[in-house]
Amino acid sequence: MLKKSLISVAAVSAIFMAGAASADTADKRIALSNNYAGNSWRQAMLKSWDKVTGKAVADGIVKEAPAFTTAENQATEQAAQIQNLILQGYDAIVLNAASPTALNGAVKEACSAGVTVVSFDGVVTEPCAWRIAVDFAKMGEVQLDYLAKRMAGGANLLEIRGLAGVFVDDEIHKGIVAGVAKYPQFKIVGSVHGDWAQTVAQKNVAGILPSLPKVDAVVTQGGDGYGAAQAFKAANRPTPLIVMGNRHDELTWWKQQKDANKYETMSVSIAPGVSTLAFWVAQQILDGKPVPKDMIVPFLRIDQENLEQNLANTEPGGVANVEYLQADALKVIASAK
Amino acid sequence: MNGLSKGMPRALLEKAWLGSFLAAAAVWAAAMIYSGGQGGGQMLGAALSFSTFFVIVGIGQMLIIATGPGNVDLSIPGTIALAGAIAMKVMDGEDSLIVVGLAASLAAGAAVGAANYGLIRVLRIPPIIATLSSNLLVQSTAIAYGRGLRVKPPPAFADFTTATVFGVPVLALCAVVFAAVMAVVLARTVFGRSVLAIGQNMRAAWLAGVAVDRTRLLTYTLSGLFAGLCGALLAGFSGGSSLDMGMEYLLASIAVVVIGGTSVAGGKANVPGIWGAALFLFLLLTMLNTFGAGAGVRLVMTGLIIIAVITMAGGDKPAR
Repeated sequence: MLKKSLISVAAVSAIFMAGAASADTADKRIALSNNYAGNSWRQAMLKSWDKVTGKAVADGIVKEAPAFTTAENQATEQAAQIQNLILQGYDAIVLNAASPTALNGAVKEACSAGVTVVSFDGVVTEPCAWRIAVDFAKMGEVQLDYLAKRMAGGANLLEIRGLAGVFVDDEIHKGIVAGVAKYPQFKIVGSVHGDWAQTVAQKNVAGILPSLPKVDAVVTQGGDGYGAAQAFKAANRPTPLIVMGNRHDELTWWKQQKDANKYETMSVSIAPGVSTLAFWVAQQILDGKPVPKDMIVPFLRIDQENLEQNLANTEPGGVANVEYLQADALKVIASAK
Repeated sequence: MNGLSKGMPRALLEKAWLGSFLAAAAVWAAAMIYSGGQGGGQMLGAALSFSTFFVIVGIGQMLIIATGPGNVDLSIPGTIALAGAIAMKVMDGEDSLIVVGLAASLAAGAAVGAANYGLIRVLRIPPIIATLSSNLLVQSTAIAYGRGLRVKPPPAFADFTTATVFGVPVLALCAVVFAAVMAVVLARTVFGRSVLAIGQNMRAAWLAGVAVDRTRLLTYTLSGLFAGLCGALLAGFSGGSSLDMGMEYLLASIAVVVIGGTSVAGGKANVPGIWGAALFLFLLLTMLNTFGAGAGVRLVMTGLIIIAVITMAGGDKPAR
């Protein structure tokens, strides 16, 4: 059994070597290894992947591009999944990883077997893999830049953080702290963890609100803005400026407030369609193009002017999304050089 | 242990339920002192609102845990997500469909609960594994069914779930009545007595003529039913259902039962304690948030305080 798989890995690697030389990806197979599917962002990410890769397969750009999701959001489980994908002979694995470091062993095995690994969103540190990373700290900082324009005289802020102990939460928080240091007229008067979920954010904001002075603005991490708005409403407090995170319920609420009382805010997050950007990058690498190992994903920022347009493009329960084209991937690759 | 507690169950039970309320009052007072006494009433109002949901699932979980060691329902998070999605989709924002939506979500919850007992009884899978795997199945069904859809609740349903009378949430008042009814059911009905008898010794209960299978089936079905109710109400309360809304109930539903004074060994249940424990857990987090404690400190403190409360108020001393 083991011998057989080794032979097939060797055979596939040989085919891969031959394929790379001809600079054509029509016979290439790219797999998506995904660690979690239990929220609207991930659902949209998988949907975008299906849509874009389905078209790419129909157009004969790649042979196939299935998506695989692990059930338990565990690094060990995803490592086993990657090993399976290696044995199944995929040419490239596009990876949203459960952990930045715990999958490095499996990723290294993939590289040694000649499989191209492109990680995105949840990136891995293993040097042989490509990384399409999000500048999360910047996501925190732009919120303060925006607030500094809107509230030049300073304001009391409530910070809603994400899931404690996760890298993304620390990074966005760092950006927010850096922003507050840059504009000392702002003061964070309270901080709660919302776990990027509306219900958790609502509960924890409702708990801390009674003990807080007037809150002028809420800085967030996405997936928590609507819950915060509900908590302020339930406490009969004036609605502060809440930075949104591109979710459909958040944008819908914003639109209602905008129509009712000219409410103004901004919204920023990463488009779930970043999976399709990673797909095109993997395709470029398989095509033999030189691609730098580290790239940065562009944000999807929504402002007062383009709210309606973005809301119309967001499906109920989903997240504002952009599906990337091959040309976008070339742009991201070029800007990383 | 049972031999000893039989002699003085009243005092011990009362002590256990008092403990969680005292702990809740203590953390509330601490938060109040820190914030200079402002907003204490509102804080209590919020605590009542959110505790309601923990009480509803906690009572179902308590019935199961009271039937003896190893019995637990880990499918609550998935059931909440599924029931919430079903309620919102069936109601479709129409006031006229509220009853239908509520009935559909309750039926879905009860079906999950009954299926759980099927796995346990027919396939002989231990409850912890059976309910954990059914949680995965149910959560996946919710994902496939809802696709992350966040349908708004009908206005009348949203108003009902968020209404207050003199600052006290209506839903919390309903949950107090509900808890009182369940306390009577547990103490005064054949079903309630059977649950406790099974928890003390399943074989002895069976030999004494207790309908063991039917009672256990009913506990799992009720737990599913209550999780379904919680999912529908939570979706109304928070302006729509979301896939991750049941997540925090996996361990919290067990925590409120145990902190509330129900014995993990079975045979001894405590309904009012669940209210105290739910208020305590909410106010504890609020207090630590008010202090501005970092996530690490908060988790450590939460763990230590829970251990302290259980040790002090757990009541039941081992019989040695």
